[in-house]
Amino acid sequence: MNSDRIAISLDLINRHYQEPNRNRFESKYFWEELYPLIRASGFRSIEIPYEPVWQFGGRSGVPMNRYCINTKYESAANYRTVLADAGIDRVTGVTFDPNLFMRNDNLDFFFGASGHFAGEALAHAADLGADYFAISPSPFYGRAAHYHPDLEAKRETFAARTTDLLGGLAEKAAASGVTLVLRNEYWSLFRGEQILSLLDALPDGVKLDIDAATLTIAGIDPKPFIEAHQARIGCVHLTDTDFVDADETWKTANPEFPAARATQVFRDPGTGSVDLAGIVSLLDRLGYQGPVVASARQTRDPFRALLRTRALLNQFAN
Amino acid sequence: MPNIRYANMCHWKAIPYRQIENFRDFYYEDKTNTAYYSDWDRILKYQAALGFDGIEIAPWDLSDILPLFGSPENFAAFAKDRGVEVIGMFHGAHASHDAGHEEEAIRAGREAVDTIVKFGGSYMNTCPTQNYCGTGPLSHEEVQQCAKVMNAIGEYATDNGVKIGLHNEFFCAINLPNHRQLIETTDPRYVHYCLDTAQVAILGEDILTFYKDYHDRISTFHLKDTASAFQPDSVRYSRDPEITDDGTRWFWEPGLGELDLEGLYRLLKEHEFKGWMSIEYDGSPDMLASMALTRFHLDTVLRPIYD
Repeated sequence: MNSDRIAISLDLINRHYQEPNRNRFESKYFWEELYPLIRASGFRSIEIPYEPVWQFGGRSGVPMNRYCINTKYESAANYRTVLADAGIDRVTGVTFDPNLFMRNDNLDFFFGASGHFAGEALAHAADLGADYFAISPSPFYGRAAHYHPDLEAKRETFAARTTDLLGGLAEKAAASGVTLVLRNEYWSLFRGEQILSLLDALPDGVKLDIDAATLTIAGIDPKPFIEAHQARIGCVHLTDTDFVDADETWKTANPEFPAARATQVFRDPGTGSVDLAGIVSLLDRLGYQGPVVASARQTRDPFRALLRTRALLNQFAN
Repeated sequence: MPNIRYANMCHWKAIPYRQIENFRDFYYEDKTNTAYYSDWDRILKYQAALGFDGIEIAPWDLSDILPLFGSPENFAAFAKDRGVEVIGMFHGAHASHDAGHEEEAIRAGREAVDTIVKFGGSYMNTCPTQNYCGTGPLSHEEVQQCAKVMNAIGEYATDNGVKIGLHNEFFCAINLPNHRQLIETTDPRYVHYCLDTAQVAILGEDILTFYKDYHDRISTFHLKDTASAFQPDSVRYSRDPEITDDGTRWFWEPGLGELDLEGLYRLLKEHEFKGWMSIEYDGSPDMLASMALTRFHLDTVLRPIYD
């Protein structure tokens, strides 16, 4: 696989958690310096994690939502010009998760807000000319269970309403030329192979997001899964981990930070134990031509993670 | 008991752990300082060690804190075990100037009061409405409407043992032309004032004059410094001015800006202020360093004037 076509996800920048100097990530200047550094690390395309909360906080100029882009650049087209001037040719995809809206016992609120902002995020993806819009079909299971202690009893309702929401998005995605793909996080109500029944209930144009680390943590070997579902793959995330979920961390309120273990679940690509080279080789063998994204989610050092990821990709057959 | 007790307005962003039990394992995995900023146990200990024995919760953190701790009561007990009490919470009274949103704004304010009571707090510092850009200028009637909503929330709060304090931002639709009008239109029995020294100075008020005029309405403070007082309309009314494009900071630790905080402390002494004062570090790149610098300035400069 030509590594030029592998994008880097902007999830390598800590958007949520405290650390010294974290606040610089909320100013426009940080990002406009970062884009050339991404190019210098050998990436020509990026993925943007949509961040609805920043629409309310005035963090304009950061690329995480439509409001922030339009406020400072007037249009997605102008923003793409800024990216191009920095050597970034393409926004490959936009991701969205509805966790923010799981904040009370009102499912109408959750699905209403999630649907509205997912629609905004999808439109943002279309404006940016992205290949895919990757949505997490569920919030953290543990967070949902906190606000809905009867979550298991509501599972069918939850699945039906999720299917409705995704069905509406699928129509919009098809109309805008963006592929809707389902993320398959290990903390999801639709974890592991349960994502398949959700996918089956949706139009054929909706695809799977293969996330190597999260599949592994959910107990699924990514390579046979890729082979079995190759025709339904909409994008691939090269994520890495060493984490083994021995204590049902996936059911906890904050599953990316296991209370009983040391530090992070995800590791910079190449520093965990997922066979990323084997996955890329398999994708080549299968003739996969879709988007591939490297992700250093939860990295402690984004600039080192950029170079670590490039160092890994340099080892792959090009 | 000192006249002033000090709290920390919570700008720690999301904290992913209650307590890291295996700290050495955590540290040795990546050998960075991340662990030191990742659990509430340590954050609260920093506060207690530096003499900030109160914390004011940020409402945008609730959706993380509550699943992590299970309930407001659990968080309050966890903090109390480490010598920190929850004194209250910030609240944004969105669209309270709009008569069409009256019911919704009052309901949201009352729900926030209920949440504060569960945390054991007794203050709700309340931003009266949203940003100027896209909303302002407000008509006389809209300011009256805003006051009506504040009075309704304030009466409910008072009945539940909570004091609401108007808290204005320099970029809000309640701005220099109508700031005092709003204060004077609200009912002093139910609606108090949280003096955010930097916000009010950037807005265009002299903080000493303001305190002299309204000292009997002040329920609490957000104490912070600024080197950017008296900004023009073009800045205050612009879109999203709080987070600047170039990293310019509006807010600094007490003593690192230009405000006459010593003069303010002399007035606090004159008017015998007693109660909580929150220090606020929005804009700081390093909350722990800011807390330590603030404690030094409090102990060496401000507290000797009045405490």
